Amino acid sequence: MVSKNKNPENPEKDGVSRRSFLQGAGAAAAAAGVARIPETVIAGQNGVATPEVLGPEAESIQLKVNGADKKASAPPSTTLLDFLRNDVGVTGPKRVCDRGSCGACTVLLDGQVVDSCSMLAIDAVGKEITTVEGIGTPDNLSRLQKAFIEKDALQCGFCTPGMVVSCTALLEENPKPSRNQIREGLSGNLCRCGTYQNIIEAVEHVSRKGG
Amino acid sequence: MPKEIQIKVGFGDQFRDLTVRIQDDDVKPWQPGDRLNLIGQSTPRVDAVAKVTGTANYSYDQKPKGMIYGKILRSPHGNADIVSIDIDKAKKLPGVRAILTAPEIFEDESARYAGAEVAAVAADTEMQAEAALRAIEVEYDIKPHCVTVEDARKEGAPQVGRGEQVNVARISPRQRRGRRGSNSDMDERLARQEAAVGKVIQDSDVVVEGEFSTQVQTHAPLETHGSVCSWEDGRLICWASSQATFGFRNELTSNWGGVRAKSCQILSEYVGGGFGSKFSAGREGVLGALLAKEAGVPVHLMLDRSGEQLSAGNRPDSLQQMKMGVNKDGVIQGTRIRSWGTPGTGTGGAGAHNDGIYNIGEVDKIEYGVRTNTGGAKAHRAPGWPQGAFALEQMMDMAADEIGMDRVEFRKKNDEHPIRKVEYDIAKDRIKWNRSLTRNGGAEICQGLGIASNLWFSAGGGGASALVRITKDGQVEVRNGAQDIGTGTRTVMGMVVAEELGLEMNQVATRIGNTDDPQGPASGGSTTIGTVTPAARLAAFHAKKELMEIVADRKGWDASELDLKDQEVWRIGEGSTGMTFESACALMDDDAIEVLKGRPRRNYEGFSDTNAGVQAAHVEVNQATGAVKVLKVVAVADAGKILNPLTSESQVRGGVIQGVSFALFERRIMDRQKGRMLNDDFENYKMLGSMDCPEIDVVLLDVYNGKSNTQVMGLGEPPIVATAAAVANAVSDALGVRMYDLPITPKKVLEAIAKRDAAKEVPAQKKGERL
Repeated sequence: MVSKNKNPENPEKDGVSRRSFLQGAGAAAAAAGVARIPETVIAGQNGVATPEVLGPEAESIQLKVNGADKKASAPPSTTLLDFLRNDVGVTGPKRVCDRGSCGACTVLLDGQVVDSCSMLAIDAVGKEITTVEGIGTPDNLSRLQKAFIEKDALQCGFCTPGMVVSCTALLEENPKPSRNQIREGLSGNLCRCGTYQNIIEAVEHVSRKGG
Repeated sequence: MPKEIQIKVGFGDQFRDLTVRIQDDDVKPWQPGDRLNLIGQSTPRVDAVAKVTGTANYSYDQKPKGMIYGKILRSPHGNADIVSIDIDKAKKLPGVRAILTAPEIFEDESARYAGAEVAAVAADTEMQAEAALRAIEVEYDIKPHCVTVEDARKEGAPQVGRGEQVNVARISPRQRRGRRGSNSDMDERLARQEAAVGKVIQDSDVVVEGEFSTQVQTHAPLETHGSVCSWEDGRLICWASSQATFGFRNELTSNWGGVRAKSCQILSEYVGGGFGSKFSAGREGVLGALLAKEAGVPVHLMLDRSGEQLSAGNRPDSLQQMKMGVNKDGVIQGTRIRSWGTPGTGTGGAGAHNDGIYNIGEVDKIEYGVRTNTGGAKAHRAPGWPQGAFALEQMMDMAADEIGMDRVEFRKKNDEHPIRKVEYDIAKDRIKWNRSLTRNGGAEICQGLGIASNLWFSAGGGGASALVRITKDGQVEVRNGAQDIGTGTRTVMGMVVAEELGLEMNQVATRIGNTDDPQGPASGGSTTIGTVTPAARLAAFHAKKELMEIVADRKGWDASELDLKDQEVWRIGEGSTGMTFESACALMDDDAIEVLKGRPRRNYEGFSDTNAGVQAAHVEVNQATGAVKVLKVVAVADAGKILNPLTSESQVRGGVIQGVSFALFERRIMDRQKGRMLNDDFENYKMLGSMDCPEIDVVLLDVYNGKSNTQVMGLGEPPIVATAAAVANAVSDALGVRMYDLPITPKKVLEAIAKRDAAKEVPAQKKGERL
């Protein structure tokens, strides 16, 4: 099973702590500045109340996306998804529900699946971000992408980038998943056209061939 | 002048010879036994690589130079008139480039549902546009509202509409206007019909009746409605999430909303789903185009999820009263139907097709549309059919049980469809219809089977042209301006051209979703494939003919003896001449052969005007929790000639999944007090997910129906018709009590169980026994 957070006991390791996200989300809604509380403060609960204040003006943000450095100027309240799509032109991840309930924006953050709509770009600084574009390219498709094509695991294709990323992480974590484990691994990704069974077949196809 | 040809029509072991008159330049439909290379072979989508790598650029992904962002302000009130809109503060905010108000653009001061468009802003960033929306000051005249059919039908209910508009209107047979006396004539006719059918039902051996209801389901395509609009020298270029590129264009060049583009190009190469909701540019399309005009730069206006759920379309709900008279031999004598549904603030389009599929004897049917202060309905994948089939198929099971006949045999008795007669037995066999299960609530976990039928009418029609271009260096391209919303139209368009030219798939480029290319249909009524592919095949056939004439001329051969197969020039009946396709093309004097052909306007006489289909569901119900799990759905489907089994199967699976989702989960929840939709998001609007997905066993029948040169029928809509009905029948079978109301939530299951058990207790208590 792929969880959105591999280390529930130590959320800071994944850099997508609920607390820093909520701080950011509140600020984004109000279009105000973001008080980014240092991780040591959240982890230690020491009550040191001198957060570094960023924004609301745009700041230069540099992220490592699919192995390349991508830099743009954006308000610190910008979500990772919006930064990828609007600021650095990586449009594989899709904005569908914009609140972490559909998985169309799924990317990998240091190998872990995250909903990029539900975290801030600044929280991804220093992490390896992998979008669907980084899984495989038209000239160099991954085995999973090939299986998606062969099994017709896509219709309109709008959920597909998120599905490909989630399934890639699933197989990375568990190269021989059972059918139920695949279903669980996909449970954060919605498809409206109805490709679930084809996606399961595509994952099983790769898994049988030795992931 | 039409010409006469002999063809074989039919399927399985049921073929017959038929003489058909076809358009004189048309090509003969493929015949059983023809050696086909691609048609009928599972072929991956031509756009699959782009879709799995994130390189498919949807409208949402466009970013022309200088692009800014548009947002829409929506009314928060259930029913209101807009008194005034003050945009002064908003205008002065940073980044704001254009503001439009809905009353001005649409000449409509009313905001008749929570979610109605009030104003639109374009600003440099999305955050700036949102800030500007918050700064717009609107004064509303708030009126009382009704957001459910029940409320709107009540005596003295608040008026939903304006002026003379009543809340409830008879929509079928339609209420006539204008001609004095005609309505009372109609009323008399309906009264006579009611009396006559009432007598037929009363005189039948057995009478069954029930009241059924279904919920409002939103389309919820993952790519929301909207567009990216750019004006270039008076010409509007619009990347639109549309399932009707040409319809979208025609709206933006018309007077509607005042866009009046002199010239307009719609680009929709990739569309993130539509399901019937994306035929029109909609108010968002108009606002996007006008914001871009006013701002002088391209504007990205895609709805957010809330806007999509509130305003971009839904399947109307239904309340269906059914009464059926049946004789003991299984023949239905007559059926009385009254139904109500809400299409939003209008009255049309909320009918339920509960009188199709079977012969249900003499029919007395009246339908009413009910205005409510809710977002407007749109055509939704088989409009009216899943809800109608749900009620009808429950009645079929109730009637079969009442006369003690097997539920499938009872259906067969009242069904003349030549294909469905075969499909019943396939479905029975695959679902193991006669297996023994713990039914009728016999254990905490019980199981049941249900069956239901599809019907559709989709051989396509006129209204499409295709351009096939073969270049001197052997490149082939086919173009049609219609869209592929995920159905696989683009792929089959390429397949028929490759087949006709004896090429492989990767040798044919396809271009779609561009209104500068030849006319194509809307993706509606499952007609796209049957409309586009005959045009593509015809254009390819004539391009081939021209190429063969060039070859014949150069080589001194007889063009009528030549054909293209296996990427070579063949002499018909003899085999390859050894000349490759590329060397044939190299003989051209000109750069290319280009052939534009329109689809023959009429369909030919063929095997069947309709496609059928039967689905069987196997469910498990937990009587302690009320949870329903659909274990398996067998979907037997037909759609004329199956061009691409791979994508055809996907269409059927998708229909089944949306049908299960409709049966068990989805519903728009309205707050009756506040007059607002409560689940305008994806957290609370529950759709089927991977954990809920049943095993789907698709069986495709290949039917040579002779209706066109590709003989194909659409498959988008038919497979969603039967699913919810079959699932509901299976749940009723498992529980031993009828389900009357969709979606079948755990709460409704527990209520049905309680009702069932209470009914069992009554006779027991009469006997003085204690339980």
